Amino acid sequence: MIILEDVYYKYEPEGIDALRGVSLQMREGEHLALIGPNGCGKTTLIRHLNALLLPTSGKVKVGGCYTNDPTHQAEVRTLVGMVFQNPDNQIVGMTVEEDVAFGPENLRLPTAEIKKRVAEALTRVGIPELACRNIENLSGGEKRLVAIAGVLAMQPRYIALDEPAAFLDPAATKRVLDIIDKLHSEGVGIIHITHNMAEAALTQRIVVMNEGRIYLDGAPREIFRKVEMLKQIGMQLPQITELLMKLQESGLPVRTDIVNMEDALEQIRFLAGKIKD
Amino acid sequence: MYHTGSFIRGQSLLYNLDPRVKLAATICLSIFILWVKPLMAVVIGIALLFAALASGIHLRTIGQALKPLLFFIVLIFLVHALFNEGDALISIPFFGLSLSYAGLQKGFFVVWRFLCLMIAAILLTLTTAPSQMIVAIKYFLKPLKLLRVPVDDVAVMIMLALRLMPILLTEKEKVETAQKARGYNLRQSGFVIRIKAFLSLTLTIFTGVFRRADELAMAMEARNYQRGERTSLVELKLNSSDYLVLLFLGVFLFIFVALNSHFG
Repeated sequence: MIILEDVYYKYEPEGIDALRGVSLQMREGEHLALIGPNGCGKTTLIRHLNALLLPTSGKVKVGGCYTNDPTHQAEVRTLVGMVFQNPDNQIVGMTVEEDVAFGPENLRLPTAEIKKRVAEALTRVGIPELACRNIENLSGGEKRLVAIAGVLAMQPRYIALDEPAAFLDPAATKRVLDIIDKLHSEGVGIIHITHNMAEAALTQRIVVMNEGRIYLDGAPREIFRKVEMLKQIGMQLPQITELLMKLQESGLPVRTDIVNMEDALEQIRFLAGKIKD
Repeated sequence: MYHTGSFIRGQSLLYNLDPRVKLAATICLSIFILWVKPLMAVVIGIALLFAALASGIHLRTIGQALKPLLFFIVLIFLVHALFNEGDALISIPFFGLSLSYAGLQKGFFVVWRFLCLMIAAILLTLTTAPSQMIVAIKYFLKPLKLLRVPVDDVAVMIMLALRLMPILLTEKEKVETAQKARGYNLRQSGFVIRIKAFLSLTLTIFTGVFRRADELAMAMEARNYQRGERTSLVELKLNSSDYLVLLFLGVFLFIFVALNSHFG
């Protein structure tokens, strides 16, 4: 369980609050998407989850440890893995296996255990064949997977990802999102920042942030029902939901609390059936 | 393409040797290259080339690596050839310069020693992964721990420096492309403009790199990096071929010491 209690955060003592009283609970094994306009505090929020940032006031508790307790910092960082937006700024090693080994080396594990974890992590993200490759010769999507493997090698219970699909082409995006899905099904809690509504719609829970506060929090269907509230802060609906809403506005009897392709297809077939009759 | 510190993965004796053996051998050989009589240095050089060929490294790769140093090599040769006293083959009427046989010989041997040193270093970096090299350096620096030298931190610093090199190069390319895209044509501009362009290039690259370094530091912290002792993925283990190479090297060097005094 991750618990945030009334967290405030300022980057500079005289500056404005980047977080303004955020309270949030996340269960183990949950898949949560964090969305919101640029500068609303998403990245600041997830950096609190593994004690990279400590709240100016309020508390963050991860699996029973408070992040501002220095004696528990190592434990917190092992529990929550952090994947940064740009893998080039995260990858430390010259080769894939070297980089994946960086975390376990910091945990001072014996060589045999490090080797085991590196192989395991690379297999989990589906790139065991890249182990000996030079980082510079990898594609953007592969680098992203290496960054995720580097975090997995520390065997975290949660992984926080900052826009894991940024700068990727559709095929690479799908590959990365599929891996995230797989990790979730293996029981890893995922919190993932995104600007893509369709991507957010596939999670169990969406948290919308605005101006350092939590603006909306709920299942995708509930969130996308609050069209006006989303539009107020400049957020758009997934295209599928938008399409069904337009159909409804033009007088057709369709449901609009729909966030994925299968449900939308069903609605459209239902509609087509009615027209035939 | 070869660039400083680049490593080509392969399978041969040199690749599979323990990095400590390779590092120690390179250092020993370097001392010998500088110390022994000229003719012995020629023998060492030929042996090094054989070692390169035996481990499947093309002479062309070595040539590529040496290319940037060509100017320096020619300069060393000329300085020795022209400034040496001896029977002049050709006298040059300026500054009392003369080309002498002794000078040419001296120049040749100095350049030869220099090339030998470079080839030894190139062989080491081409056949040793950076991570292995770092572990080897850490091993040899270990005694310094008694003097409170932070050996583990030094090893991480070397690793980050190696990692930062390609990042610096890409950053440079990016800024250059951005400058070109806005119509900056350096070829046709004068000296002052070039210097200015160079300054703006360096400043931009440095601010960029500092920003990245900041984020990298945070990412390292996120993966639980703390100063002080760490373990390693690389395992150091001496096997029979390592002992064999050490023995061979020992005998080889002993013979050299013995023979050295006999050569004029």
